[in-house]
Amino acid sequence: MMNEELEQFEQRLSRQPVREIPGEWRAEILSAARAAQAVPANLRPAPRDSFLSTINHQLSTLLWPHPKAWAGLAAVWVCVGAFNLATQDKAPRIAEKSAPPSPAVMVELKKQQRLFAELVGNYETAEADRPRVYSPKPRSERTECLVT
Amino acid sequence: MPGDSELERLYDAHAPSLFAFLLNLTRDEADTRDVLQEVFVKIARDETLFRGVRGERGFLIRLAHNAAIDLMRRRGTRERTKVNLAEILSPFAPASDPDEAIFRDELSAALAELPEEQRAVAHLKLWGGLTFEEIATALELSPNTAASRYRYALDKLRGRLRPLYEEMKKAE
Repeated sequence: MMNEELEQFEQRLSRQPVREIPGEWRAEILSAARAAQAVPANLRPAPRDSFLSTINHQLSTLLWPHPKAWAGLAAVWVCVGAFNLATQDKAPRIAEKSAPPSPAVMVELKKQQRLFAELVGNYETAEADRPRVYSPKPRSERTECLVT
Repeated sequence: MPGDSELERLYDAHAPSLFAFLLNLTRDEADTRDVLQEVFVKIARDETLFRGVRGERGFLIRLAHNAAIDLMRRRGTRERTKVNLAEILSPFAPASDPDEAIFRDELSAALAELPEEQRAVAHLKLWGGLTFEEIATALELSPNTAASRYRYALDKLRGRLRPLYEEMKKAE
């Protein structure tokens, strides 16, 4: 029933006659075609199928459905990029700029450190500051220690 | 390069159906003429164009469709300004019967509201008399895609024209 109704509707649509082509077009279009035919191939404009035009065509096919949306997205990225550049830290980084001290400077620094230590009276490094060297004792000695 | 008589034969055989198809796509007589001329100029210039082509009708529809799509993209802004459907040229012949005239106007407006890809398939099926396989070949689609686009188009047309169609059926 439903299909029958649909078929009737389709038939109704297909019975509507379409407009006829204007008669005067025949001579105009055919003469334009003949004129194009008469132009030698070497005088015709070069075909536009270059690499760039192909890329352009492919891109326009991709972007055409929503050009405003793509343009808006591109504009947002440009704004983000501009903001990023504007807010970049321009202060020179000390760690990057300073060069490692020369050996002469290091020797002088050591000398001054020693002199300062002598003046203060504690040249040797404090015991607490020394790194502990852990030497495991034999298991038998540990047992003795526990017993005593 | 096809001879004069061959060009004339191609024109007489295919230009009327191409005209109706293009008019339904562009809804503009001047654009339709431009596209039709572009197609025949292309045929006249390139002798190798029809080499290896099986169905010349389908091939001509493809040429015309691609040229129309390019033109509509170039003139997209102008098309979008045609908000008033009354400004859009109907692809149907004028009717003497007032009821038929109203139906054709409504059908024309309903077709104009369809997406281009559905309108192209609907036109070729309803007024071009092509099968889904032929439509698929001409528009470079799969037959399933052509069939589904046609179904979507028909559902929309039916939804839009149902009140008028029911009324006309009752009157008959």
